[in-house]
Amino acid sequence: MSNRKEPLSQFIQQIHGRPVVVKLNSGVDYRGVLACLDGYMNIALEQTEEYVNGQLKEKYGDAFLRGNNVLYISAQKRRYN
Amino acid sequence: MEESEQVPAVTVKEPLDLVRLSLDEKIYVKMRNERELKGRLHAYDQHLNMVLGDAEEIVTTIEIDEETYEEVYKKTKRNIPMLFVRGDGVILVSPPIRAGV
Repeated sequence: MSNRKEPLSQFIQQIHGRPVVVKLNSGVDYRGVLACLDGYMNIALEQTEEYVNGQLKEKYGDAFLRGNNVLYISAQKRRYN
Repeated sequence: MEESEQVPAVTVKEPLDLVRLSLDEKIYVKMRNERELKGRLHAYDQHLNMVLGDAEEIVTTIEIDEETYEEVYKKTKRNIPMLFVRGDGVILVSPPIRAGV
């Protein structure tokens, strides 16, 4: 059973400190460096940029995202702009 | 595999630490239904229920201009001395921009 969970925890460990895109159910994207996340999928991001309809709308130094709003977390190879 | 525990002085080990570090600071909260709050964080819990002092609520509504049919964003602000926020409406919490900018 633990074998099945391994890819998940590996992914989560790998993306710490990496640039990620977090999409919320509302469709808003947050790009930033993943500081940490917990079992509720609450997320702490650094150097956060908020994209609404693909347009940069706001920047936050740090941001806490409440897990229930999260649709997905996507690891980025490289930061654009 | 056991990882040796590192204990840096101030650390964000779990996302809620970010909120804990913002206690007694001015924070920005993005809420559902196009609502925003700014206020001093007096208390919070794991649900993100929060008590904000000196809070300002900003509500954004879209109105359609009757002649040009343009969408006009209208921001309505109001001040609340002390506010209890139910956590389930919270989307984002951002600590204050650090002083010394």
